[in-house]
Amino acid sequence: MPPWTTSRRDVLRGAAALMADAIVPRRTYAERERAGVETRAIVVTFGGGVRWEDTFAPEGWSNIPHLVSDLVPQGLFYPETRYDGLTGHFNATGALVTGCLQNVDAYGNEAPTTPTVFECFRKERRLPPEQAWVIASNKSFGLLGGSKLRDWGDPCAANVILPKQFLVESIKSAVATDAGPGVEDRQALAEKMVSALDEGYEGFGWRVHDSGRAPGKEVRATLAKSLLDYFNDPLVPTSGDELTFFMTKEIMSRLAPSLVLVNFWDIDIAHFGAYSLYLEAIRRTDRLVHGLWEHAQSLPQYRRRTTLIVVPEMGRDGDPSGNGFANHRSGDESCRRLWLLAVGAGVPRGLVSERPIRTTDVAPTLARVLGFKMPEGEGRALSELAF
Amino acid sequence: MTNAPASDAASLLRRHRELLARLPVSFRAFIGVEAEKWPTMFGPEKAYLGALLESIASWTATEMADAFAAVARLEDEAGCRDARESDARQLQDATQSLLRRKGLLPRWRQEVDAVFRRLQPRIDERLRSADAPRRLVVVLYGQGIAIQRDGLWRRLRRIGTRIPLRLEGAQSSDAFLRTLFAPGEKPSLFSALRDSAAHGPHDTWIVEAGESLHALCEAGAGQGGAGATGLSYARLRPYRELLARSLYKKVVSGVSGPQELAGYARALDIEPPAGALLHSDEVVRAFIRDVFLSGNGTLLVNNTFVEWAAVQALKRAEPRLLVARFGVRDKMKPFSSLLLFSSPRPTDQVPIMEDPLGSFVDVEQLSYYVWVNAEKSAAYRGKTLYLLLAEGVDEMLAIRSGAPASGAGEGATEASLGEVAATMAAWLGVASGASARPLASITG
Repeated sequence: MPPWTTSRRDVLRGAAALMADAIVPRRTYAERERAGVETRAIVVTFGGGVRWEDTFAPEGWSNIPHLVSDLVPQGLFYPETRYDGLTGHFNATGALVTGCLQNVDAYGNEAPTTPTVFECFRKERRLPPEQAWVIASNKSFGLLGGSKLRDWGDPCAANVILPKQFLVESIKSAVATDAGPGVEDRQALAEKMVSALDEGYEGFGWRVHDSGRAPGKEVRATLAKSLLDYFNDPLVPTSGDELTFFMTKEIMSRLAPSLVLVNFWDIDIAHFGAYSLYLEAIRRTDRLVHGLWEHAQSLPQYRRRTTLIVVPEMGRDGDPSGNGFANHRSGDESCRRLWLLAVGAGVPRGLVSERPIRTTDVAPTLARVLGFKMPEGEGRALSELAF
Repeated sequence: MTNAPASDAASLLRRHRELLARLPVSFRAFIGVEAEKWPTMFGPEKAYLGALLESIASWTATEMADAFAAVARLEDEAGCRDARESDARQLQDATQSLLRRKGLLPRWRQEVDAVFRRLQPRIDERLRSADAPRRLVVVLYGQGIAIQRDGLWRRLRRIGTRIPLRLEGAQSSDAFLRTLFAPGEKPSLFSALRDSAAHGPHDTWIVEAGESLHALCEAGAGQGGAGATGLSYARLRPYRELLARSLYKKVVSGVSGPQELAGYARALDIEPPAGALLHSDEVVRAFIRDVFLSGNGTLLVNNTFVEWAAVQALKRAEPRLLVARFGVRDKMKPFSSLLLFSSPRPTDQVPIMEDPLGSFVDVEQLSYYVWVNAEKSAAYRGKTLYLLLAEGVDEMLAIRSGAPASGAGEGATEASLGEVAATMAAWLGVASGASARPLASITG
């Protein structure tokens, strides 16, 4: 019996165990609760990539308690999700936001070669830049907000914020000399980062399109507040993803964008080869995803009108490939086999769809959820959601 | 069977000049780049390159055309045949770039893998004889790692035998290691191997997070020197820090991408400090640099270094004895994981804290990978005894490659560390320093 057959059975058994009696009939559709209400969409990626066995396989459930216990029962779970493209971060997330497999520079020096959901959304609906955001821990995602295609590109791209890059620049500066308090003086770091909002922001990871080259007053205030929240949080957060979380919350609270992509990326610490740190990052991502959903439910602009999609950027190498979790270069089945969870407006509750889907289906699904057109691509909208 | 081994790369390439001209250009570039590494190759790597070329040469024209057809098609599609660079590395960069530009690199990799899969039986036939020596891989969890007995060797339990141990007072790390590797007044296992026929320093490897085994090996070495290749993460600290500082400076000054950084790293002239290595030669020094530059976390995480170096040693040097000794990893300091290659410690007031629990989770996975990678190699498959021990813990796991799984080993006879020492010596066929008898259940 080929390994895939066994794996598939495991997938379904695992999913069924999560939600007994909840396999979705092929033609079951959710109903939108209220017609005519403006819908919003948030996509959150387990950036860096996670393996099935470390997440939704039964042995991985302890790493994602919030997804398993809180979010899956509220939503529609696709255990048969695949990514067939290049297993690098930019190309994988590029496929997610364009609906087409991408083959551009792996380190983010080139923009996607087909229009992104952000461009299509803003252009068709003539929306201001505050309506579409990419908030990415991966510091090479500066060009993910839009293609460079004629008639598309910057004028209709998403605002891109790279919180981790911002954090790194500040920390680099703090540890540049042996003198001084280093990274432990959180107040000094916070002040440095707030003041950096006024200078050379593009070098620090901002790409905010709302008023030429400088963030507008409201955006600046939003970012400054999130920085202070981050540094003053009683849990003393230190990871880049936690800053991404605080910034996303603040952007949602103040600007209420309709379309947000949040890329968490602490998981990529797996490259350091420490399995415990990789698992810890998965648990943190699980907690932050849940926190974002709870935050959305607390905001009138989002409550009952938001569709959340949670999906890994890609998988990571299987153990037979050598160093397993540490890398995502083999292109083996473990790198490609993912899952997707949809929750919220227009999503049937507590169901599992065994229909195989691809991460390129996310972009056309967002287009259907938010009601705009995407050029024909490789993905197809998830038909189980109500549009 | 194989021709006489080539004494240098040039003569090897000369011998196969006509064959090389018929190979797809990307494959020819690969052979050229490998040949350039000849001065820093271990013996098995040189033998492999020779066997690779001879195996291809043994194909009929039809077999060869068939094997390389898909690679050649992809090269045509990418325009690789127009690449004219005479330098092998430049030719490789050019062909890879063309394939990448067309999005064909993943398929090309798959097709090249398929060629190697087809070649592997012929290569193995040339390199592996039925009377190849037995090998021993010992994986040690150093003291301080928070051993969770319920989860100990979880991934490997079902294929090995758990054997209860009588420690007889050897609870401490030093006593445990001494009893295991240098029992009694007789020579240590390392010295015994050193003095055995046809055994060189590349045939015994010690890779460890700390340096206790290095000290033990040196103490028992006497006039003959250690006779082993040793890599200690602790002893290599000045080297690591200098390397990390150099890379960090380069990163901060701006690099166009990983290829430029790799080129810069390759050109760095940094040497391990005097006394850091048990055995030092050009091949070992190049190996160390490769380990630090190619294994992502090896510069920063001791156990990652141990695993990656052990796996690379198994793959490249094929030692008869490899001892991989893990240790306790430091906790990541606040924000430190954000700054690859940097060293935030000088300005960081937080004391260094160890992570014994996290270390256990890490080494469980990493020790599994050591076994997985060893078993991929024909040099180890069916020829190797794996012993997994945790210092101060009164049980071990024994896995005999190719032998039927013996399950959880319930009811296995208790053994002393001296008997384990005797078993290791008997397995390798060297004079035992131990007065105890080998465990027949393993060596038999």
